[in-house]
Amino acid sequence: MTTASTRRMPPRKSVQTVIYHAAMLLIAGIFLLPFYWMTISAFKNNAEIFARPVTWFPDPIRWSNIAELFNRDDFPFLIQFGNSVFYAGSVALAVCFSCSLAAYSFGCLRWRWRDLVFGLTVCALLLPGIVTFLPVYLGWSRLGLNGTYWPLITPFLFGDAFFIFMLRQFYMGVPRELLDAARLDGASEFRIWWQIALPQVWTALVIVGLFAVVYTWNEFFSPLIYLQDREDFPLSVGLFTFQANRAREWSISMAGALFAALPMVVLFLLTQRLFRQGLASSSLK
Amino acid sequence: MGAVQLTGVRKLFGALEVIKGVDLSIADGELVVFVGPSGCGKSTLLRMIAGLEDVDYGDIRIAGADVTELAPARRGVAMVFQNYALYPHMTAYDNLAYGLRRAGMARAEVDARVRETAALLQITELLPRRPKAMSGGQRQRVAIGRAIVRKPEVFLFDEPLSNLDAALRVEMRSQIARLHQELQATMIFVTHDQVEAMTLADRIVVLNAGRVEQVGTPSEVYHNPANLFVAGFIGSPAMNLLPATVGQGGRLTLAWGTTMAGPACSSGMAGQSLTLGLRPDRLSLVPQAQAQASGQVTLAEHLGDESILHVRLPIGQSLTVKASGDVAARLGDTVHLGFDMTHAALFGADGQAMRSA
Ligand SMILES: Nc1ncnc2c1ncn2[C@@H]1O[C@H](COP(=O)(O)OP(=O)(O)O)[C@@H](O)[C@H]1O
Ligand SMILES: [Mg+2]
Repeated sequence: MTTASTRRMPPRKSVQTVIYHAAMLLIAGIFLLPFYWMTISAFKNNAEIFARPVTWFPDPIRWSNIAELFNRDDFPFLIQFGNSVFYAGSVALAVCFSCSLAAYSFGCLRWRWRDLVFGLTVCALLLPGIVTFLPVYLGWSRLGLNGTYWPLITPFLFGDAFFIFMLRQFYMGVPRELLDAARLDGASEFRIWWQIALPQVWTALVIVGLFAVVYTWNEFFSPLIYLQDREDFPLSVGLFTFQANRAREWSISMAGALFAALPMVVLFLLTQRLFRQGLASSSLK
Repeated sequence: MGAVQLTGVRKLFGALEVIKGVDLSIADGELVVFVGPSGCGKSTLLRMIAGLEDVDYGDIRIAGADVTELAPARRGVAMVFQNYALYPHMTAYDNLAYGLRRAGMARAEVDARVRETAALLQITELLPRRPKAMSGGQRQRVAIGRAIVRKPEVFLFDEPLSNLDAALRVEMRSQIARLHQELQATMIFVTHDQVEAMTLADRIVVLNAGRVEQVGTPSEVYHNPANLFVAGFIGSPAMNLLPATVGQGGRLTLAWGTTMAGPACSSGMAGQSLTLGLRPDRLSLVPQAQAQASGQVTLAEHLGDESILHVRLPIGQSLTVKASGDVAARLGDTVHLGFDMTHAALFGADGQAMRSA
C-alpha cells in the first residue's frame, strides 16, 4: 500500500495538552463551585443545606422555595427585580447615548484642545468614586432627590470615563473619508453620527451596554446610600437586607440569589460571541 | 457654470504650512489634474475646494460665487475618495440615494435619478448589494455613481484609481475620460501617477511642497517644463539633466568636455553655468565618430517595442536612453550616444527654464 492512499491521522494529543485541559477544568470547577452550591441550596431546606455529609444533589427538590420567594410579604422580590431591570436598563441606555456621543467627538471630530479634554476625561477614571461621594450626596440631598433613582441614573447621561475611553477606540477606526462623504452628501453632524458612524461601531456599543447592565445589576453601594424604602431597592440591596434580617432562611436567600444571577448568565450566553469579538478587537487596537 | 478659482489659498496645520499660496483658475468643463509627489498637498488642496478643510488665507470661488465659508454640501461639488468611502452598511442603491434624500428630493425622483445613473455606469445589477459583496472595480464604479447622481458642477477625484490593479486602472481611466465627455462637467483629478495625468488632463497642475510649479497642457509641461522640478517629475523615464557651461557663441560645454551647439536661448550667456535637459528619446546610439558621449551600459530594460538603457559615463554621470526595441546592447557594453537638441531645455542656476525670447 502506498503512503498516499492511507489517510493521515490528526496529530496525537500530547501529554501536555491533556495536563493543560485538566488544569483548566480544575480552575473552571473552582470558579463554578459556589454557583453550583447556590443553585442546589435554593432547592433544599436549612437542615439539608447544613447536613453532613454534603448532598451534592437536592433530594427532594423543594420547588416550594421558589413559590415562597415570589410570595413573601417581607421580601418584595418581583418588585425589586423590576427595579433592578429598570435601573440597569436606564443606566445602559444613558451610557450608550452619552458615551457614544462623547467618544464620537473625541475619536472622529477635530477641535481645539480636544486631546487635552480627553486627557482630563481619562484622569477622571483615576479618581476613586468614594472621593467625590460626599459632596455629590449632599448635592442630591439639597435637591430633595434622595430616595429616588435620579441620583443613580442621571449622572450617566453625562458620560462615564471608562466607557468613553473604550468607545473612542472603536470610533477612531471609522475611516475619516466616510464621514467626509456624508458631509458632502449634506448630512448634519448629528445625522453623521447617528446614520454613518454609529452603525460602524454598533458591536462595541452593544458590549458597552452589556458592561453597563452587568455593572449596574451588581451595583450595591450607591443604591444602598440613596434609597430608603424596601419597595425601591434593586435586587442587590434587597437580597442583602433580606439576608441581614432573616439570617436563618438560607434557602430563600439562595433562591433569590439564583434568580438575581440568572438574567446575567442568560444575557452572557446570548451575546457570548459578540463579547469575545469586541474584547479581542478593542485590545488589538 | 462650474469654473473654479483659487486666490492666494494657504493652509496651515499648526505651524506647518502645507499649502503655500495657490492661485489657480479652472475653466468650466475642464478636466484638470493635480499631480505631484506624495505629501505635497494635493489631497489637502482638493479637500479645501470640497470644504472639508478650512482655508486659512485666500478664497475659493465656484461658478463665480465665493464658497470659502460655505458648507461642503452647498458648494455643488462631489468627491470620489481613494478608498471609495462607500457607506458599508448600506446597499449601493442607498449609497447613491443618500445625498439626494438629504437634499429633500421626493422618493420617485430619487428612484429615477439613481436608476438613470446606475444605467449610465452599468451598475444596475449592483444596486441591491452592499459594498462588502463587490469587487474593487465595482466599488469604484458605485463611488463614481454616488458622485454623479447629485449632478454637481464640479467633480473632485482624490487618487480614485490607485487601489485598482493595472488592467482595471486603464479601463477606469478611459471610463472617466468618457464621463467627462458626456457630462461636460468640471473635473479635478488628483494623482501621483504622471501617466494618468498625461492621458486624462486638459491641463496639468504640477504641485510640489505646497506650491504650484507649473500649469499647462500635458504637451506644455512635457516639452517646456518651467523648472528643474517639473522636468524631473514629468516623463518616464525621467529627463536627463546635465550640468553645462556656456562658451563663445552660445556653445555648450558639458561636464566631460564635449562642446556642442546649444539651443537658441543660450547665445549671449557666455560664462554661465546651466543645466541641459534632454528627454531619453533624444539620445540615440551612434557610431563613435559622431558621439557626444560614450559610456558603459549599467542596466538594459528590453520592453519589446523599446529598450531603456542606463549608461554610465567615465566621469560618473548617468544617462538614460530610450532606444528602439531591437538594440543589441547588453549590460557592460560600451555604447556611443548622440544628442538631438530639438526640444532640449535649459535651466538657469535658479532652476527656472530659460526661454528663447
Ligand atoms: N490633518 C492633518 N494634520 C496635520 N498635517 C496634515 C494633515 N493632513 C495632511 N497633513 C500633512 O500635509 C501634507 C500634505 O498632505 P496631503 O495633502 O495628504 O498630501 P498628498 O495628498 O499630496 O499626498 C503632508 O505632509 C501631511 O503630513
Ligand atoms: Mg493624497
